[in-house]
Amino acid sequence: MRLRHVTYSLLITLLFLAFAQTTFAQALDISSGGLPTITGAVGGSVTGSASVTNDLVVTINFGEVSPLNTNSIVKVVVPIALRSNQPYQVAVSMSGLNNANAQAVQASDVGFGLQNMQLLGGAGQICNQSTHLIRSPFNNDPAITATVGSNGRVSYQSSLGNLSGSTVIMSGPVLSKNNSIKRQQSDGYTFDAIFTLTPQFFASGISSATLIFTISAGPNVPC
Amino acid sequence: MPRLTTINLIFLTMLLMVSAVTCLGQSTTGTVSMSATVSKFVEINSGGSVTLTGNSGGGVTTDGVANSPLAVSINLGELGPSNTNSFVSASVPLKLRSNAAYVLSMSATVTSSGASSSRIGAADVGFGLGTVSRTGLGVNAGADTNATSGDPTLAANGSINGTTGRYEFTAVRSNLGAFSSSTTALSGPIIMNAVPRSNANGLTVPAMFAVKPQFFENGTTTISVTFTVTAP
Repeated sequence: MRLRHVTYSLLITLLFLAFAQTTFAQALDISSGGLPTITGAVGGSVTGSASVTNDLVVTINFGEVSPLNTNSIVKVVVPIALRSNQPYQVAVSMSGLNNANAQAVQASDVGFGLQNMQLLGGAGQICNQSTHLIRSPFNNDPAITATVGSNGRVSYQSSLGNLSGSTVIMSGPVLSKNNSIKRQQSDGYTFDAIFTLTPQFFASGISSATLIFTISAGPNVPC
Repeated sequence: MPRLTTINLIFLTMLLMVSAVTCLGQSTTGTVSMSATVSKFVEINSGGSVTLTGNSGGGVTTDGVANSPLAVSINLGELGPSNTNSFVSASVPLKLRSNAAYVLSMSATVTSSGASSSRIGAADVGFGLGTVSRTGLGVNAGADTNATSGDPTLAANGSINGTTGRYEFTAVRSNLGAFSSSTTALSGPIIMNAVPRSNANGLTVPAMFAVKPQFFENGTTTISVTFTVTAP
Protein backbone atom coordinates (compact mmCIF):
# COMPACT_ATOMS: atom_id res chain seq x y z
CA MET A 1 0.00 0.00 0.00
CA ARG A 2 2.81 2.41 0.92
CA LEU A 3 4.66 1.53 -2.29
CA ARG A 4 1.54 2.34 -4.28
CA HIS A 5 1.33 5.79 -2.70
CA VAL A 6 4.95 6.47 -3.46
CA THR A 7 4.50 5.33 -7.02
CA TYR A 8 1.43 7.48 -7.59
CA SER A 9 3.14 10.50 -6.03
CA LEU A 10 6.09 10.01 -8.35
CA LEU A 11 3.80 9.70 -11.32
CA ILE A 12 1.91 12.87 -10.45
CA THR A 13 5.18 14.73 -10.04
CA LEU A 14 6.46 13.53 -13.39
CA LEU A 15 3.17 14.39 -15.05
CA PHE A 16 3.37 17.90 -13.64
CA LEU A 17 6.96 18.29 -14.80
CA ALA A 18 6.14 17.04 -18.24
CA PHE A 19 3.15 19.35 -18.44
CA ALA A 20 5.24 22.28 -17.35
CA GLN A 21 7.95 21.49 -19.88
CA THR A 22 5.32 21.03 -22.54
CA THR A 23 3.77 24.35 -21.73
CA PHE A 24 6.90 26.50 -21.50
CA ALA A 25 9.68 24.80 -23.48
CA GLN A 26 8.49 26.00 -26.84
CA ALA A 27 8.04 29.59 -25.66
CA LEU A 28 11.55 30.64 -26.66
CA ASP A 29 14.05 28.53 -28.51
CA ILE A 30 17.23 29.01 -30.51
CA SER A 31 18.88 26.26 -32.54
CA SER A 32 20.96 25.55 -35.56
CA GLY A 33 19.40 26.94 -38.72
CA GLY A 34 21.34 24.73 -41.08
CA LEU A 35 24.86 23.91 -42.12
CA PRO A 36 27.31 26.81 -41.72
CA THR A 37 29.66 27.61 -44.61
CA ILE A 38 33.08 29.22 -44.98
CA THR A 39 34.76 30.81 -47.99
CA GLY A 40 38.12 32.42 -48.59
CA ALA A 41 39.86 30.50 -45.85
CA VAL A 42 43.36 29.04 -45.90
CA GLY A 43 43.54 26.23 -43.38
CA GLY A 44 40.20 27.23 -41.90
CA SER A 45 36.97 25.37 -41.25
CA VAL A 46 33.54 25.64 -39.70
CA THR A 47 31.62 22.91 -37.94
CA GLY A 48 27.97 22.83 -36.95
CA SER A 49 24.83 20.83 -37.43
CA ALA A 50 22.85 20.82 -40.65
CA SER A 51 19.71 19.91 -38.73
CA VAL A 52 17.45 22.70 -37.50
CA THR A 53 16.41 20.52 -34.59
CA ASN A 54 19.89 20.45 -33.12
CA ASP A 55 21.35 22.94 -30.70
CA LEU A 56 23.33 25.91 -32.00
CA VAL A 57 26.91 24.83 -31.41
CA VAL A 58 29.23 26.21 -34.08
CA THR A 59 33.01 26.29 -34.18
CA ILE A 60 34.68 28.63 -36.63
CA ASN A 61 38.34 28.47 -37.51
CA PHE A 62 39.11 31.40 -39.79
CA GLY A 63 42.49 29.83 -40.50
CA GLU A 64 45.37 31.97 -41.64
CA VAL A 65 44.51 35.68 -41.75
CA SER A 66 47.99 37.10 -42.31
CA PRO A 67 48.95 38.17 -45.86
CA LEU A 68 49.82 34.51 -46.42
CA ASN A 69 46.13 34.23 -47.18
CA THR A 70 45.83 36.06 -50.48
CA ASN A 71 42.03 35.90 -50.57
CA SER A 72 40.32 39.24 -50.15
CA ILE A 73 38.18 38.12 -47.21
CA VAL A 74 37.27 35.10 -45.11
CA LYS A 75 33.50 34.82 -44.79
CA VAL A 76 31.47 32.51 -42.57
CA VAL A 77 27.69 32.20 -42.74
CA VAL A 78 25.99 30.64 -39.72
CA PRO A 79 22.24 29.95 -40.14
CA ILE A 80 20.35 30.26 -36.86
CA ALA A 81 16.76 29.16 -36.17
CA LEU A 82 14.41 30.88 -33.75
CA ARG A 83 11.08 29.72 -32.32
CA SER A 84 8.73 31.44 -29.93
CA ASN A 85 5.09 31.77 -29.07
CA GLN A 86 5.57 35.31 -27.80
CA PRO A 87 7.47 38.45 -28.80
CA TYR A 88 11.16 37.82 -28.56
CA GLN A 89 14.58 39.40 -28.68
CA VAL A 90 18.00 37.94 -29.43
CA ALA A 91 21.07 39.16 -27.61
CA VAL A 92 24.75 38.30 -28.09
CA SER A 93 27.53 38.46 -25.59
CA MET A 94 31.20 37.90 -26.34
CA SER A 95 34.22 36.76 -24.40
CA GLY A 96 37.80 36.72 -25.64
CA LEU A 97 39.50 38.83 -28.31
CA ASN A 98 41.25 41.05 -25.82
CA ASN A 99 44.63 41.37 -27.51
CA ALA A 100 46.74 44.07 -25.87
CA ASN A 101 48.68 44.70 -29.07
CA ALA A 102 46.63 47.12 -31.16
CA GLN A 103 48.08 45.58 -34.31
CA ALA A 104 46.79 42.12 -33.42
CA VAL A 105 43.29 40.98 -34.31
CA GLN A 106 40.73 43.04 -32.41
CA ALA A 107 36.98 42.65 -32.03
CA SER A 108 36.49 45.43 -34.56
CA ASP A 109 38.45 43.38 -37.12
CA VAL A 110 35.77 40.68 -37.19
CA GLY A 111 32.81 41.82 -39.24
CA PHE A 112 29.45 40.71 -37.86
CA GLY A 113 26.09 41.24 -39.52
CA LEU A 114 22.68 39.64 -39.87
CA GLN A 115 20.82 38.90 -43.08
CA ASN A 116 18.13 36.75 -44.66
CA MET A 117 15.46 36.59 -41.95
CA GLN A 118 13.00 34.10 -43.40
CA LEU A 119 10.30 31.63 -42.52
CA LEU A 120 11.34 28.21 -41.39
CA GLY A 121 8.56 26.26 -43.05
CA GLY A 122 4.81 26.48 -42.89
CA ALA A 123 4.44 26.67 -39.14
CA GLY A 124 6.32 29.93 -38.90
CA GLN A 125 4.05 32.74 -37.81
CA ILE A 126 3.48 35.56 -40.30
CA CYS A 127 2.69 38.79 -38.50
CA ASN A 128 1.32 41.84 -40.27
CA GLN A 129 1.38 44.35 -37.44
CA SER A 130 5.07 44.07 -36.51
CA THR A 131 8.27 43.25 -38.29
CA HIS A 132 11.32 41.36 -37.25
CA LEU A 133 13.75 44.16 -36.56
CA ILE A 134 17.50 43.74 -36.91
CA ARG A 135 18.94 46.32 -34.59
CA SER A 136 21.37 48.94 -35.86
CA PRO A 137 24.11 48.59 -37.03
CA PHE A 138 23.90 44.85 -37.61
CA ASN A 139 21.60 44.78 -40.64
CA ASN A 140 24.26 44.18 -43.29
CA ASP A 141 26.55 41.68 -44.93
CA PRO A 142 29.99 42.69 -43.62
CA ALA A 143 31.66 41.17 -46.67
CA ILE A 144 29.91 43.86 -48.69
CA THR A 145 30.23 46.75 -46.25
CA ALA A 146 33.96 46.24 -45.65
CA THR A 147 35.96 49.37 -46.37
CA VAL A 148 39.51 50.55 -45.80
CA GLY A 149 39.57 53.16 -43.07
CA SER A 150 41.62 56.30 -42.89
CA ASN A 151 44.34 54.37 -41.05
CA GLY A 152 44.53 51.79 -43.82
CA ARG A 153 42.85 49.09 -41.76
CA VAL A 154 39.70 47.34 -42.91
CA SER A 155 36.53 48.27 -41.04
CA TYR A 156 32.91 47.16 -41.28
CA GLN A 157 29.50 48.70 -40.83
CA SER A 158 29.19 46.37 -37.85
CA SER A 159 31.63 44.12 -36.11
CA LEU A 160 32.15 42.25 -32.89
CA GLY A 161 33.43 45.56 -31.61
CA ASN A 162 29.81 46.71 -31.52
CA LEU A 163 29.01 44.14 -28.85
CA SER A 164 29.04 45.49 -25.34
CA GLY A 165 27.95 43.13 -22.64
CA SER A 166 24.74 41.43 -23.71
CA THR A 167 23.78 43.32 -26.85
CA VAL A 168 20.32 42.95 -28.39
CA ILE A 169 20.76 42.38 -32.09
CA MET A 170 17.20 41.70 -33.14
CA SER A 171 13.64 41.51 -31.88
CA GLY A 172 10.14 40.95 -33.16
CA PRO A 173 6.72 39.42 -32.74
CA VAL A 174 5.79 35.79 -32.17
CA LEU A 175 7.71 33.41 -34.43
CA SER A 176 5.79 30.14 -34.31
CA LYS A 177 2.19 29.19 -35.03
CA ASN A 178 2.08 26.05 -32.99
CA ASN A 179 3.08 25.23 -29.47
CA SER A 180 4.81 21.94 -30.06
CA ILE A 181 6.48 20.16 -27.23
CA LYS A 182 9.67 19.90 -29.24
CA ARG A 183 11.56 21.55 -32.06
CA GLN A 184 10.16 20.88 -35.48
CA GLN A 185 11.55 21.29 -38.96
CA SER A 186 9.17 24.12 -39.86
CA ASP A 187 7.97 26.10 -36.89
CA GLY A 188 9.84 29.38 -36.76
CA TYR A 189 12.29 31.60 -38.57
CA THR A 190 15.92 31.44 -39.60
CA PHE A 191 18.48 34.13 -40.23
CA ASP A 192 22.13 34.21 -41.21
CA ALA A 193 24.75 35.43 -38.80
CA ILE A 194 27.65 36.49 -41.03
CA PHE A 195 31.21 36.76 -39.77
CA THR A 196 34.12 38.13 -41.82
CA LEU A 197 37.82 38.63 -41.31
CA THR A 198 40.01 40.33 -43.88
CA PRO A 199 43.59 39.01 -44.06
CA GLN A 200 45.93 41.81 -43.08
CA PHE A 201 49.35 42.50 -41.63
CA PHE A 202 48.09 41.66 -38.14
CA ALA A 203 50.64 41.07 -35.44
CA SER A 204 51.28 37.35 -35.28
CA GLY A 205 49.46 35.13 -32.83
CA ILE A 206 46.29 33.13 -32.30
CA SER A 207 43.07 34.87 -31.38
CA SER A 208 39.84 33.36 -30.17
CA ALA A 209 36.41 34.42 -29.00
CA THR A 210 33.16 32.86 -27.88
CA LEU A 211 29.75 34.27 -28.64
CA ILE A 212 26.62 33.35 -26.74
CA PHE A 213 23.34 33.93 -28.57
CA THR A 214 20.38 34.19 -26.21
CA ILE A 215 16.69 34.41 -27.04
CA SER A 216 14.40 35.90 -24.45
CA ALA A 217 11.06 37.68 -24.10
CA GLY A 218 11.22 40.88 -26.11
CA PRO A 219 9.29 44.12 -26.42
CA ASN A 220 5.56 43.43 -26.41
CA VAL A 221 4.76 44.06 -30.06
CA PRO A 222 1.53 42.85 -31.71
CA CYS A 223 1.49 40.19 -34.36
CA MET B 1 0.29 -4.35 -6.53
CA PRO B 2 -0.50 -6.63 -9.51
CA ARG B 3 2.49 -7.39 -11.67
CA LEU B 4 0.91 -5.97 -14.82
CA THR B 5 0.19 -2.65 -13.12
CA THR B 6 3.77 -2.40 -11.96
CA ILE B 7 5.10 -2.99 -15.47
CA ASN B 8 2.72 -0.40 -16.87
CA LEU B 9 3.83 2.10 -14.29
CA ILE B 10 7.47 1.48 -15.18
CA PHE B 11 6.75 2.02 -18.88
CA LEU B 12 4.76 5.16 -18.15
CA THR B 13 7.54 6.52 -16.00
CA MET B 14 10.11 5.86 -18.74
CA LEU B 15 7.84 7.55 -21.26
CA LEU B 16 7.51 10.62 -19.08
CA MET B 17 11.25 10.77 -18.54
CA VAL B 18 11.89 10.55 -22.27
CA SER B 19 9.35 13.30 -22.78
CA ALA B 20 11.07 15.47 -20.22
CA VAL B 21 14.46 14.88 -21.84
CA THR B 22 13.03 15.77 -25.24
CA CYS B 23 11.65 19.00 -23.88
CA LEU B 24 14.95 19.85 -22.20
CA GLY B 25 16.61 19.45 -25.62
CA GLN B 26 15.29 22.90 -26.48
CA SER B 27 17.41 25.83 -25.51
CA THR B 28 17.36 29.59 -25.19
CA THR B 29 21.08 29.89 -25.85
CA GLY B 30 23.49 28.90 -28.60
CA THR B 31 27.24 29.11 -28.88
CA VAL B 32 29.54 30.21 -31.68
CA SER B 33 33.23 29.76 -30.96
CA MET B 34 35.82 31.22 -33.28
CA SER B 35 39.56 31.36 -33.71
CA ALA B 36 42.05 32.75 -36.20
CA THR B 37 45.75 32.40 -36.78
CA VAL B 38 48.19 35.08 -37.81
CA SER B 39 51.55 33.65 -38.80
CA LYS B 40 54.69 35.71 -39.15
CA PHE B 41 54.91 37.12 -42.65
CA VAL B 42 57.77 38.79 -44.46
CA GLU B 43 58.35 39.58 -48.09
CA ILE B 44 60.84 41.35 -50.31
CA ASN B 45 59.97 42.86 -53.63
CA SER B 46 61.38 45.33 -56.05
CA GLY B 47 61.07 48.91 -54.92
CA GLY B 48 61.21 50.26 -58.46
CA SER B 49 63.58 50.96 -61.32
CA VAL B 50 67.32 50.46 -61.14
CA THR B 51 69.61 53.45 -61.50
CA LEU B 52 72.91 52.83 -63.29
CA THR B 53 75.52 55.58 -63.43
CA GLY B 54 79.13 55.93 -64.50
CA ASN B 55 78.88 53.05 -66.91
CA SER B 56 80.59 52.80 -70.24
CA GLY B 57 78.49 50.46 -72.29
CA GLY B 58 76.31 48.04 -70.48
CA GLY B 59 72.90 48.91 -69.11
CA VAL B 60 70.00 47.54 -67.13
CA THR B 61 69.09 44.28 -68.78
CA THR B 62 66.10 43.45 -66.59
CA ASP B 63 64.74 46.36 -64.65
CA GLY B 64 62.94 46.28 -61.36
CA VAL B 65 59.17 46.74 -61.28
CA ALA B 66 57.79 48.15 -58.05
CA ASN B 67 55.95 45.60 -55.91
CA SER B 68 56.95 42.74 -58.18
CA PRO B 69 59.37 39.98 -57.29
CA LEU B 70 62.94 41.18 -57.24
CA ALA B 71 64.72 39.85 -60.33
CA VAL B 72 67.10 42.44 -61.65
CA SER B 73 69.88 41.98 -64.17
CA ILE B 74 72.50 44.63 -64.78
CA ASN B 75 75.41 44.84 -67.21
CA LEU B 76 77.95 47.14 -65.59
CA GLY B 77 79.76 47.60 -68.90
CA GLU B 78 83.44 48.35 -69.16
CA LEU B 79 85.33 48.28 -65.85
CA GLY B 80 88.85 48.72 -67.24
CA PRO B 81 90.72 52.03 -67.41
CA SER B 82 88.97 52.89 -70.65
CA ASN B 83 86.04 53.82 -68.46
CA THR B 84 87.20 57.12 -67.09
CA ASN B 85 84.38 57.56 -64.59
CA SER B 86 85.35 57.31 -60.97
CA PHE B 87 82.78 54.60 -60.23
CA VAL B 88 80.23 52.48 -61.99
CA SER B 89 77.30 52.48 -59.61
CA ALA B 90 74.01 50.65 -59.55
CA SER B 91 71.23 51.41 -57.12
CA VAL B 92 68.59 48.72 -56.75
CA PRO B 93 65.49 49.75 -54.76
CA LEU B 94 64.18 47.08 -52.38
CA LYS B 95 60.79 46.98 -50.71
CA LEU B 96 60.28 45.00 -47.51
CA ARG B 97 57.04 44.28 -45.68
CA SER B 98 56.39 42.29 -42.54
CA ASN B 99 54.05 41.80 -39.62
CA ALA B 100 56.98 40.95 -37.35
CA ALA B 101 60.55 41.98 -36.67
CA TYR B 102 62.66 41.16 -39.70
CA VAL B 103 66.22 40.46 -40.76
CA LEU B 104 67.43 41.13 -44.29
CA SER B 105 70.39 38.98 -45.20
CA MET B 106 72.45 38.86 -48.33
CA SER B 107 74.87 36.46 -49.93
CA ALA B 108 76.97 37.10 -53.01
CA THR B 109 79.25 35.27 -55.39
CA VAL B 110 81.69 36.92 -57.77
CA THR B 111 83.18 34.85 -60.56
CA SER B 112 85.77 36.21 -62.98
CA SER B 113 87.34 34.60 -66.01
CA GLY B 114 90.73 35.94 -65.10
CA ALA B 115 93.37 33.85 -63.37
CA SER B 116 95.54 36.37 -61.58
CA SER B 117 95.04 38.34 -58.41
CA SER B 118 94.29 41.34 -60.58
CA ARG B 119 91.01 39.86 -61.71
CA ILE B 120 87.85 41.35 -60.27
CA GLY B 121 87.07 39.76 -56.94
CA ALA B 122 84.30 40.07 -54.38
CA ALA B 123 86.26 42.73 -52.49
CA ASP B 124 86.34 44.89 -55.62
CA VAL B 125 82.58 45.20 -55.68
CA GLY B 126 81.44 47.83 -53.24
CA PHE B 127 78.12 47.40 -51.52
CA GLY B 128 75.97 49.19 -49.02
CA LEU B 129 72.39 49.93 -48.16
CA GLY B 130 71.28 53.53 -48.45
CA THR B 131 68.72 55.49 -46.49
CA VAL B 132 65.89 53.40 -45.09
CA SER B 133 62.45 54.88 -45.63
CA ARG B 134 59.32 53.95 -43.72
CA THR B 135 56.65 56.17 -45.20
CA GLY B 136 53.09 55.84 -46.34
CA LEU B 137 49.74 54.84 -44.90
CA GLY B 138 49.91 51.68 -42.86
CA VAL B 139 53.69 51.64 -42.42
CA ASN B 140 54.79 51.30 -38.84
CA ALA B 141 57.35 53.77 -37.55
CA GLY B 142 60.47 52.06 -36.29
CA ALA B 143 64.23 52.30 -36.11
CA ASP B 144 66.14 49.99 -38.42
CA THR B 145 69.70 48.85 -38.03
CA ASN B 146 71.81 49.14 -41.15
CA ALA B 147 74.70 46.71 -40.80
CA THR B 148 76.45 48.10 -43.86
CA SER B 149 78.31 51.36 -44.21
CA GLY B 150 75.97 52.90 -46.73
CA ASP B 151 76.90 54.24 -50.12
CA PRO B 152 80.17 52.47 -51.03
CA THR B 153 81.31 55.41 -53.14
CA LEU B 154 81.54 57.66 -50.12
CA ALA B 155 85.09 58.73 -49.44
CA ALA B 156 84.83 57.39 -45.93
CA ASN B 157 84.05 53.90 -47.20
CA GLY B 158 87.08 53.27 -49.40
CA SER B 159 90.44 54.42 -50.59
CA ILE B 160 93.50 53.50 -52.60
CA ASN B 161 95.73 51.03 -50.85
CA GLY B 162 99.01 52.80 -50.28
CA THR B 163 100.99 49.62 -50.82
CA THR B 164 99.26 47.97 -53.75
CA GLY B 165 97.69 51.00 -55.36
CA ARG B 166 94.46 49.10 -55.73
CA TYR B 167 91.22 50.81 -54.75
CA GLU B 168 89.63 49.05 -51.80
CA PHE B 169 86.26 49.30 -50.08
CA THR B 170 87.46 49.29 -46.51
CA ALA B 171 84.48 50.17 -44.34
CA VAL B 172 82.45 47.59 -42.43
CA ARG B 173 80.51 45.33 -44.80
CA SER B 174 81.21 47.70 -47.66
CA ASN B 175 82.08 45.09 -50.28
CA LEU B 176 80.78 41.72 -51.38
CA GLY B 177 83.70 39.95 -49.74
CA ALA B 178 81.79 40.35 -46.48
CA PHE B 179 78.84 38.48 -47.91
CA SER B 180 80.40 35.26 -49.15
CA SER B 181 77.85 33.55 -46.92
CA SER B 182 74.45 34.80 -45.83
CA THR B 183 75.10 37.86 -43.68
CA THR B 184 72.78 40.36 -42.07
CA ALA B 185 72.56 43.64 -43.92
CA LEU B 186 69.52 45.22 -42.30
CA SER B 187 67.20 44.46 -39.43
CA GLY B 188 64.38 46.14 -37.61
CA PRO B 189 60.98 45.96 -35.97
CA ILE B 190 57.62 45.20 -37.52
CA ILE B 191 57.18 47.10 -40.76
CA MET B 192 53.45 47.10 -41.42
CA ASN B 193 50.50 47.94 -39.26
CA ALA B 194 47.32 45.90 -39.61
CA VAL B 195 46.45 46.76 -43.19
CA PRO B 196 45.55 44.53 -46.13
CA ARG B 197 48.12 43.17 -48.50
CA SER B 198 46.62 45.36 -51.20
CA ASN B 199 48.20 48.31 -49.40
CA ALA B 200 51.34 48.77 -51.51
CA ASN B 201 53.38 50.70 -49.00
CA GLY B 202 56.36 49.31 -47.14
CA LEU B 203 59.94 49.88 -46.13
CA THR B 204 62.15 50.91 -49.03
CA VAL B 205 65.89 50.93 -49.13
CA PRO B 206 68.35 51.16 -52.04
CA ALA B 207 70.93 48.41 -52.40
CA MET B 208 73.95 50.18 -53.81
CA PHE B 209 76.71 48.46 -55.76
CA ALA B 210 79.87 50.10 -57.08
CA VAL B 211 83.02 49.13 -58.92
CA LYS B 212 86.01 51.41 -59.34
CA PRO B 213 87.33 51.06 -62.92
CA GLN B 214 90.93 49.92 -62.66
CA PHE B 215 93.62 47.95 -64.46
CA PHE B 216 91.80 44.73 -63.70
CA GLU B 217 92.84 41.63 -65.54
CA ASN B 218 90.81 41.51 -68.71
CA GLY B 219 87.96 39.11 -68.91
CA THR B 220 84.35 38.86 -67.84
CA THR B 221 82.91 38.85 -64.38
CA THR B 222 79.59 37.61 -63.09
CA ILE B 223 78.19 38.90 -59.84
CA SER B 224 75.23 37.18 -58.25
CA VAL B 225 73.51 38.57 -55.20
CA THR B 226 70.66 36.97 -53.24
CA PHE B 227 68.60 38.87 -50.69
CA THR B 228 66.65 36.95 -48.08
CA VAL B 229 64.28 38.39 -45.51
CA THR B 230 63.24 36.39 -42.49
CA ALA B 231 61.26 36.86 -39.29
CA PRO B 232 63.33 35.23 -36.58
